[in-house]
Parts: sequence; C-alpha cells; structure tokens
Amino acid sequence: MTRFARRSAHSQPVTSVSEAGNGAAPVKVKAGRHREASLYHALAGAGAGDGRTLNELRAAALEVYESSELPVWRRSGFWTTTLQSLELDSLTLDGPQERAERGAMGVVPAIVGRAIPDRRRAGRIVQAGGEVVHVELDPALAAAGVILCSLEEAFEEHRELVAPWYSKRLTIDRHKLEAANAALWTGGVFLHVPAGLVVENPFEIVYAIDRPGVAQYGRTLIVGAPQSDFRVHEHDLAEDFSEYPEDGRQALHAGALELYLQDGARCRMAQVQDWGRGEVYDVSTRFVAVGRDAYCHWLPALLGGHLVRQHLELAVTAPGGDMAFRGLLFTEESEHLDVFAVDLHETGPSGGDVHWRGAATGESRASFEGLIQIDPGAQQTHTYLQFHSMMLSPKARLDAIPSVLVSADDVSASHGGTVGELDETAIFYMQTRGLDRPAAVRVIIEGFFEPLIAELQDEPLEELVRAKIAAKLASAREDIEAYATSR
Amino acid sequence: MADLEIKNLHVRTEDREILRGVDLEINRGEIHALMGPNGSGKSTLANTLLGHPSYEITEGTITFKGEDITEAEPHDRAKAGLFLAFQYPVSIPGVSVANFLRMAINAKREEPIQVKEFRTQLQHAIDLLDVDRAFTSRHLNDGFSGGEKKRAEILQMAMLAPDIAILDETDSGLDIDALRTVAEGVQRLHDEQGLGALIITHYQRILHYVKPEFVHILMDGRIVLEGGVELVERLEREGYDQIRQEVGALAAGDVGV
Repeated sequence: MTRFARRSAHSQPVTSVSEAGNGAAPVKVKAGRHREASLYHALAGAGAGDGRTLNELRAAALEVYESSELPVWRRSGFWTTTLQSLELDSLTLDGPQERAERGAMGVVPAIVGRAIPDRRRAGRIVQAGGEVVHVELDPALAAAGVILCSLEEAFEEHRELVAPWYSKRLTIDRHKLEAANAALWTGGVFLHVPAGLVVENPFEIVYAIDRPGVAQYGRTLIVGAPQSDFRVHEHDLAEDFSEYPEDGRQALHAGALELYLQDGARCRMAQVQDWGRGEVYDVSTRFVAVGRDAYCHWLPALLGGHLVRQHLELAVTAPGGDMAFRGLLFTEESEHLDVFAVDLHETGPSGGDVHWRGAATGESRASFEGLIQIDPGAQQTHTYLQFHSMMLSPKARLDAIPSVLVSADDVSASHGGTVGELDETAIFYMQTRGLDRPAAVRVIIEGFFEPLIAELQDEPLEELVRAKIAAKLASAREDIEAYATSR
Repeated sequence: MADLEIKNLHVRTEDREILRGVDLEINRGEIHALMGPNGSGKSTLANTLLGHPSYEITEGTITFKGEDITEAEPHDRAKAGLFLAFQYPVSIPGVSVANFLRMAINAKREEPIQVKEFRTQLQHAIDLLDVDRAFTSRHLNDGFSGGEKKRAEILQMAMLAPDIAILDETDSGLDIDALRTVAEGVQRLHDEQGLGALIITHYQRILHYVKPEFVHILMDGRIVLEGGVELVERLEREGYDQIRQEVGALAAGDVGV
C-alpha cells in the first residue's frame, strides 16, 4: 500500500535569522523585522565542513557571529521564541584560564556527583563551563581502539579521524548562536568507536554549568565505525545559581552535536537535560546520520531550562537505515521550550518511527514541531510520527505541530497524536486501592511517560528519568490539583 | 454493631435522587448478595460506599468498624479495609499489575513490603485465581479482555486482603470458566481469610458458585426484600416484575393508600 502525503509547503520566510546556505554570505536583516511566520527547516544538506581547516571554519563562523543579531523564531500568530532577554555580552566563555583564576580548573562540579547515578560505564567525559575537566575510559576499550577525549585534543592527536566528520552536516551560519558555537567552542567531546566493537555499558557525556555568567559552547562529535554497537548518555545540568549571586543570573548553553553511524553501526543515544532552576538558555542543534543498514535509537528527555530551543534532526542517509526517534519533555513554572524534531529520509528503503510525549505545568510553554521529510528518490520509506500531550495546568501551553514534506511517491508517512487530561475515573479507581490522590496522579503521569522511559533499556537511567518526573510532579502538586478539581 | 453499617442512605447525582433510604449491615465473614434490576441503584451504592466524588450523600450515614466514614476520602476507606471490584475496571497504561499491587500494598503500610514477602503473596494469589504469571507484568487492564479485567480485580482483592469487599457486577460479561474462577476466588478468600463480601449482581448465575447467606433486593433506591439464599431461587422462578408488583402493593399499603 502506498500512501502519499503532502501536508505543508515551505514559503520563503523573512526573518532576522539567516536562511542562507553553507558558504553563502549571510543575509543581514535589521532587528525588529520579524513580521513573517517562519517555518522551521530541516538542515537536510551538506554542513560547513567542506575541507576547510578548523581555523578557517572558526573564522567564517566568527564573521557570522559578529554580524548577526540574537535570533527570534516566530510562527504566525501563536509562537515566538526570542533570545532578546539574553544578555550575551555579559557572559564569559569560562575557559581553563578563567576557571583557574577561580580555583576551578580541572574540578568536576559537585552537581555531577549529585545528579548522575554512579553506575557501570564505558567511559565518562565532563565539560564544565568551557573546559573538559574529567575524562575516563575503560582501559580495555582504550586498548580496543575506542577514543574518548576532548575535541580539542582530538584535533591534535587524531586529526585523520576527526577532520572528515567535523561539521560534515552541521551548518555554522543559520543564526548567531550556531555561529558562536562554531567559532568559539572550547573543550568539546570526541568519541570514536572502532569497527565491529560492541560496547555494553554507556559512554557518558556531561555538560555542566557550575556558575551563572557563563556561555558554554558545547561541541560533540561521535563517530560509530562500521558494525560498531554502543550507547551514549548525555547529561546536561547546572548548579543552583542562587548560591553565586555575584556572578549574575544568566547562563547559556549553545550546543552542537553530530553523530555519524557508518555501515551497520548501531547506537542507542539518550540525553537527560535538566538545567535546573537558574536562568539557563539552551539553544542547540543535534544531528544524527544513520548510514547503510545502520540503526539509531535516540531519546532526548528535555526536563528543564529557562528557555530552550532544540533542533534535533535524525537522518537516514543511506539505504537500509532505520531509526527510532523518541523523546519526552516536561516543562514547569515559566519555562519555555521549543523543539523542532526532524525525521529525515534522504534515501530509501528506510524506516522511521517518531514518538514523543510531553506534559506541562505552571505557566510554562512548550512547542513540539515534528517534521517528516522524505527527499526525492527516497522510495520505500516508511515512517510515522506521533506526539502525545498531557494537560496539567490551565495556564500552561503545549502545542504539537506535525508536518510532512514528501517528495517521493512510493512511501508511507503519516502522523497522529492525542491530547490527554487526568482521568478522574482512573484516579478514583486507584484511590479505592489505597493510593491518595497525589499518588494516583503521579501513577497516571508516570504511566503516560513510561512507554518511552522503558525504551531506554537501562535501569539506572530509567530510574533517573522517573525520579525527575516525580520531583516535577511533587513541586507542581497544588497547581495540578487546582486544575483537576476545577473541571 | 456490624462492621459495615449503612443507615438511611440517600444519594443523588446532579440529575436525580438514586438511593432513597438504604439500610444494610455487613460483617466480616458474611457473604451478602445485592440484587436488583437495571437502574435500581446498585452501582450507585457500590461507588458511594467507596466515596466516589460524583455521588452526593444527602442523608444517612456509613459506619465502618465503628468509625463514621460518610465523608471520608476513598483512599482512607480503602486503607480501613474496604474494597471495590469495579464493574468496568479502568486501564492504567504504563503501570504493570505487579507494580501497581506493590504500590497499593505499600500505601497501607508504614514500611514498604519486602520483595520476598511480596513475591510469596503474589504467587499465592496467582495460584488462587488461576492466572498466568506473565499476567502480572502486563500494564494494568490495558488491552485486557473482559475476563482478564475481572480476574485482575479479584487478584487485587486477594493481595489487599480487605475486611469487606463490594463486587459490582463482577459476573457481567464473563464466560462460564472465568465466572467460576472469579467466584471460587471469592469463596476461598471468604473461607481462608474471613472476607466479608457484598456481591452486587443483576443475574443469579454467580450465586451458583458463591453461596450468599444474606440476600437483599434493591428496587428504585430502596431495599425492598431481604432473606436467605431461597430468595435467589424465588427470583429465578418469578423474575423482578412479580416481586415489584408484590412489594409495590406492600409499599402502597405502608402509606395507607
């Protein structure tokens, strides 16, 4: 059976964000010209890495950075993500020298130990601020050829493994913070898993912000060589800023991650993002390329941040690639979360399966835009996108915007979703078993997320995500109760 | 004083009065059947006894083990030892039967139950109800057949060991095998643990497998007839209409018309 869907078409937006492609001069638009709706676009093409050296790429990105305004993403009428409240000039890069001056050089922030369960792992790399402060790798894996080090070091020690992949699919000029990342990143993470190697335990990548006043430009490059099989867990976290009032109140994480899975490689990648209660902005782009007969299971858990915009793109780039793109999001208080998730098929046959779930409490706002894009010639692609949301507060807002761009005729692509509220009958049912109302509500919400959490297939990580969701529910308890009983 | 005492219970929903003065006493170790035609108020009574928020008690009291629970929260009634097996059990996606049972048991206890003790109890209940072990790792009632849902209700009842259980039309929609399993489960909990039960049913079928000592017939929000198991047989012979005519005449006599 063939289903053909074409549900949206791109107009040419005019925004302050440069939409120019790689290598072209960015269009500079005056601030304030944000009148038109802008559809989010897939990267869907070559990145900036075209043979230029790292320094050349940094220089090109720096030009964009210096000549562009902080971005605003606006869709007609109902959604704007603006960084105008970010005081970028007041933030520092927090590199080794700055960290040394405050006695923090090489120090793993305490929150890393508090927030991440100690468990068996293949390796761990921790970047605090602008410095990689900790690297550990199972010696047996090092002997087998695994490389886990800072990206800076990788460019010096393993250039032949890094250069062909660096920024291969990531652009550097779509907006100021993307350019800032490409121009100014320090530290960074490089993980290379050699061909045929199967690694049971996860590689942990930690981005920690331990003080306000910091702009962290995180840069991660992961390459899975043919037939490798491994897990990656990224943790994004920040200290409680209220302990450091003298350093300001804001921080920024502008991240860029690229993961390349070569022929037959398999990776399960999870990200647990919770920047805590400080005023942390997170504007990041993550791109995963699934090669021939390769497979990726990717699950970002976006669980906190003052203002977060994530461009998450999972692309099947060669025949036989398959992927499961999962995600969960939970916003609270006055948080703002803008997720753009792309399920991109550049060739067929390929498979895709996008399944996200979200909940919002307080006065938070979250938007999930999910795009299925099937390029010309990507025949025999079969993919499905679903988003389920749970309403928990009258003042919270949670939008789901699915779209499908199909340029091949022998494919199936469709989307679906649900909007749920707390089921009073289910609450009563559980109460008759002795659970009090808050416990019953927690069971419902945890059950709502559980199908995705269980897919992590990693007990410590599952427990961590469950605990974070439980903590959010506990802090929003009165709010949820007021909403439930008002109807 | 009986363990569960219902006195002059009047209950209404937004639309209308459904129970119009119900009196009922149930003790641990007693099996009662509450029968009545559709719309007589059977399910309203069941839900009201556990404190469903949609039903408003306008008059009367519910006392359990000497405590007035008329206004108590549903979970407090459950902790005190009441249980309701639902006519239409609710599915709880994402929560396995075993995990839910553990939560429910722990809600009643100070200290969480030990893994080993829980397993022993669970195995006992599984044997009692003739369910597959894999059943307990499925999400509660999610995608369950009608019979599986009712078995899951009785499994929960066995694990939570209430003093008095109300079974709201647990027999409806069950094939004969499932009905027998469920009924025998109730009977064994009664025999082994001294369970008291109020079996609410429209039909007589289940009462062939669980023998009630007390039978009450509910019509139009009142208990109109009470007796022993012979009442079930009479109902089988005569049907609700005949009884309605008879008690209708009696009621008319009551008010002197």
